[in-house]
Amino acid sequence: MIEFTLNGQPVHSNDEPDTPLLWVVRDSFKLTGSKFGCGIAQCGACTMHVDGRAQRTCVLPIAAVAGKAVTTIEGLGTPEDLHPLQQAWAEQGVPQCGYCQSGQIMSAASLLSENPNPSESEVESAMAGNICRCGCYPRIKNAILTVAEQGQAGGVQVAIPLASSGSEGVKS
Amino acid sequence: MSGIKLTRRGFLKATGIVGGGLLIGYVATPNTNSPPLVPADGALAPNAFLQLTADNQLIFYSPRDEMGQGVYMGLTTLVAEELDVPVQNIDVQFAAVHDDYKHPEYGVQGTGGSSSIRVHFLPLRQVAANTRQLLLNAAAQDLGVARDSLTTEIGHIISKGVHYPYSDFIATAETLELPVETPLKPAAEFKYIGREMPRNDALAKSTGTAAYGVDVDLPDMHYGMVKRSPVAGAKVLSFDATAARTMPGITDIVQIDSGIAVVSESFWKAKKALATIQVTWHQPELANISTAQIKADYQAALDSGKGDTKGEGSIEEGLQGAAKEVERSFWTPYLAHTPMEPMNAVVRITQGKAELWAGTQGPSFAQGLVARHANVDVENVTVHSLFSGGGFGRRAQLSHIVEATQVAVATNKTIKLIWTREDDVRNGWYRQASMMKIHAGVDNNGLVTAWDTVRVGGDLTPHTVAGLLPGAMSKSPEIINDILVGAVESIFDGWVIDGGGVEGLVDDYDFPNKHLLHISVNHGLPLAAWRSVGHSFTAFAKETVMDELAEQAGLDSIEFRKRNLQGNPRLLGALEAMEEELKTWNIPQSHHIGISSHGSFHSYVAQAAEVSVENNKIRVHRVLCSIDCGLVVNPDIVRGQVEGAIMYGLTAALYGNIELENGAVKESNFHDYKVLRINEAPLVKVVIVESEEAPTGVGEPGLPPIAPAVANAVYGATGVRLSSMPLSLA
Repeated sequence: MIEFTLNGQPVHSNDEPDTPLLWVVRDSFKLTGSKFGCGIAQCGACTMHVDGRAQRTCVLPIAAVAGKAVTTIEGLGTPEDLHPLQQAWAEQGVPQCGYCQSGQIMSAASLLSENPNPSESEVESAMAGNICRCGCYPRIKNAILTVAEQGQAGGVQVAIPLASSGSEGVKS
Repeated sequence: MSGIKLTRRGFLKATGIVGGGLLIGYVATPNTNSPPLVPADGALAPNAFLQLTADNQLIFYSPRDEMGQGVYMGLTTLVAEELDVPVQNIDVQFAAVHDDYKHPEYGVQGTGGSSSIRVHFLPLRQVAANTRQLLLNAAAQDLGVARDSLTTEIGHIISKGVHYPYSDFIATAETLELPVETPLKPAAEFKYIGREMPRNDALAKSTGTAAYGVDVDLPDMHYGMVKRSPVAGAKVLSFDATAARTMPGITDIVQIDSGIAVVSESFWKAKKALATIQVTWHQPELANISTAQIKADYQAALDSGKGDTKGEGSIEEGLQGAAKEVERSFWTPYLAHTPMEPMNAVVRITQGKAELWAGTQGPSFAQGLVARHANVDVENVTVHSLFSGGGFGRRAQLSHIVEATQVAVATNKTIKLIWTREDDVRNGWYRQASMMKIHAGVDNNGLVTAWDTVRVGGDLTPHTVAGLLPGAMSKSPEIINDILVGAVESIFDGWVIDGGGVEGLVDDYDFPNKHLLHISVNHGLPLAAWRSVGHSFTAFAKETVMDELAEQAGLDSIEFRKRNLQGNPRLLGALEAMEEELKTWNIPQSHHIGISSHGSFHSYVAQAAEVSVENNKIRVHRVLCSIDCGLVVNPDIVRGQVEGAIMYGLTAALYGNIELENGAVKESNFHDYKVLRINEAPLVKVVIVESEEAPTGVGEPGLPPIAPAVANAVYGATGVRLSSMPLSLA
C-alpha cells in the first residue's frame, strides 16, 4: 500500500508499485483531467505536480510518490475557482482539441511558481516538453506571459473532493 | 413530448428550400427512423437540432464532431444568432446517429473536409430561425398581440416592455405548425456571427473537465489492448500467451482479426502482459517492401509515363512559346497523424443492443461497424460521441472500434480499448507518399505557358472504402465488401484519377496549357486523409516550381504569381493582402522570405515564411498568412485554425517521415517521429480578407502553403532548391 496526498487529501493506493501515477490517478481515483499521450515522457500530456514540481506521470511509478504531495489539474483550479493560468487559457482561446492542455497548464504553473517573471525564451524552454499537435504554441506562450505580467501566478493549491466514492479513494 | 407527436406534426419537411443547390439533400424530418433526441418532460423539440426545456434552457445537438477545429463554437453561434440566445447560454451536446444529422454533402454522418461551417451556415440558421418564429407565433397567440409587435432578446420574447422566457410559450408552440421559410437575419444585424468571442469549450478544456473517449468510465468496464503485426495486413498464424495468462489481473486473452487482445482490470496490467505475448504472423507482400523499394517503384512508374491523364491545351505548344523552362521532381513521404489522444473506444454489448463511446469523425460508420461485429441491428447501436483529442483525418478510420467490438464479443465484457502511441505510429493509417514531377515553361512576359505534371503514389479512396464500407453496409457479407473494394481499386488503376492524390497540382493559376499524368502504385500500407489531403504535398511541388519560374522570368515571386492569377481574383486578393502586410515587416539581414499561395477547401491562402539557415539548420521565425474564407463566423477560431495548420504543416515540412523497413514502420513515438515544439514555433500573423462571400473552410487551407514557403525561403538563404520532404540541407 502506498500513501500520498492527492490534491490536498491523504490517500492510499493498492495498485502495484510499478503502476505509473498517471494510471492510478485516472483509473483508481477517477480524476481524468491528466491525459495519456505517449507513455515515455515525451509529450507532457500527463504532467502533474509532485511536491510542487512538474513531473511526467506516465513514467513515474506510484512507489516514487509515497509520502509526497500530488496535484492534478483538478487540484489546481476548478471551473468555479480558476487558477489564473486557466482563466487566461479560457479568455485567450488557447485550447483547440484541448487534450494536451491540462499538461500544458501544469507545466506552466510549475514554471511560474519557480520563476514568476520568465522571459520568452525561459517560457519556451520550460514548455518544450509539452507537445500540442493543434499548434496552440503562440497562444500558450502569450497566456503564460500575460499571467506573469499580471503578477498573479500564485501558488495556491486548492483541495477538492475526489471524484471516486469514499474519501480514501481506494479502488474496491 | 413523444416521438409519435413529432411524427404526427411532421415538422421540418425540408429546410433545404432556401439557398439553392447547396442545401439539397439536407432534410430534417423525424420520419426517417426513430427520433433523434428524446425531449425532457415539458420540452419543445421542434427538430433534431434543438430542444427548449421547461426552464428555458436551450440545448443544441451538434451534427458535427469537435476535434479542435471549433464547430462546437461555430455551429452553436449560427443557432445563437437566429434564435437570439447567447452562445454561452446554450448547452451543446453531440448528436446521436440519425439521418437528420447526415452531412448535407457527404450523405453520411461525418466530420471533415473543412466543410462544417460551409455546409451548415444556412441550414442551421434556418432551423433556428424557424424555431424562433414558432415561439413568436405562440407568444402572439398567448398574449393576444400582433406578431409584429414582439421582439426577442437573450432567450426572451419582449411584449410591451415585459420579458417572457421562450419556455413560457412551449405549450402553445406544440399546437402550431412549424414555419419553414422564415427569412434569415441580414448580415448587418448579426450580433454573434463575426464577433470576437472566446470558444465555449475553452473553460472545460482548461480545467480538465472536458470528456474525451479515453475518459469514459463504466462500472463493469475492462481494459483491452491488442498486439498487432508490425506489418499491416498480417494474419495470426499462432501465438504463445503462456506467461501472460499467469500474470495478475489478466482476465482474457483472445484472438481477433488484427491480432491478440489482452483484457485486464487495469490498463497497466494489460500493457505488461501484452509485452510477453509471442505471435507468429502470416506476412503479406508488404513485408518485402522498404522505403527505398517504394521510391524505386515510384521512379520506375514515373519513367514509364503510363497512367491516367487529363489536361487542357497543348503542352508542346506551350513549351514552344516559353522563353525559359523548369523541370523538377519531388518526393513526399508517408506521414502519421499522431493526434494527442491515441485511438480508443468503449463498447458495451447487452441483449441484442450495443453502445459505443468514442470521439470519431464518422459516427454513422462507427455505428455500422459495431453493429456488424456485434451482430446486432444498426438501429440497436447507440453512439455516444465525445470530444476528440485531435482528428486531422485519423479519426475518419475506425479499425480501433472494430477491435473494441470484437474483444467485447469474444470476452462478453464491456471493453475500453486503448491504443498506445506506438500503436498509433506503427499500426495506423497514413498520409500517402508521393513522387511528383513538374515541367513548366514561362514566356518573356512572365506568364506560364505550359504546366506538365505527374504524380505517382497510392490511391486514398480504396482504403477509405475498405475501412468504412463495412460500416455503411453493416450486414453485407465480407465477400461482397471485398468485391466492392476490389472494384474501387481497379477503377483508380487505369480509369479514373483519385482526387485525393492530385488535388491542387494543376490548379490556382492561369495555366493555358496544362496536363496531369497520374500513375497509381499501391504497396498495401493503409492510407487515410491527412489534414489537407492531397494539397499537403501538391502545393509543395507547385509552389516550389512557381518560385523557380519567377526566378527564371526575372520577376519578384509575388509579382510573378500576381501576373498568373488574373483568372483567380480571390487568391490574387489574398496574395495582395499578404503583400500589403509584408511591406510593414522589418526583416533582419540574415533572414529570408519565402512566398507561396494556394487555394483549398474553397478558401484562398497566401503565406510568407521568414527563415534563417545556420549550420544547415532551418529556423522559421515568423509566418505571415492571409486567408479569404468568405464571411467569418468566429475570427479568433479562424486565426487559431490557421496558426494550427501552419504548425502542423511545419512538422511535416521539417520532420515528418514515416519509413518502412521490411514492411514495418520504423518510427514508434515522439522521440523518433518528431513533431514541432514550442521552442521551434514561429510567430504567426493571420490577415483575414474581408468578404461577404459564403463561408468556406479554415481547418485545412492554412497548411498546404507552409512547406513551399519555407523551401522557397531556404533557397533565398542558401541557393539550394529543396524538393524532398522533410526539408533537409544536411
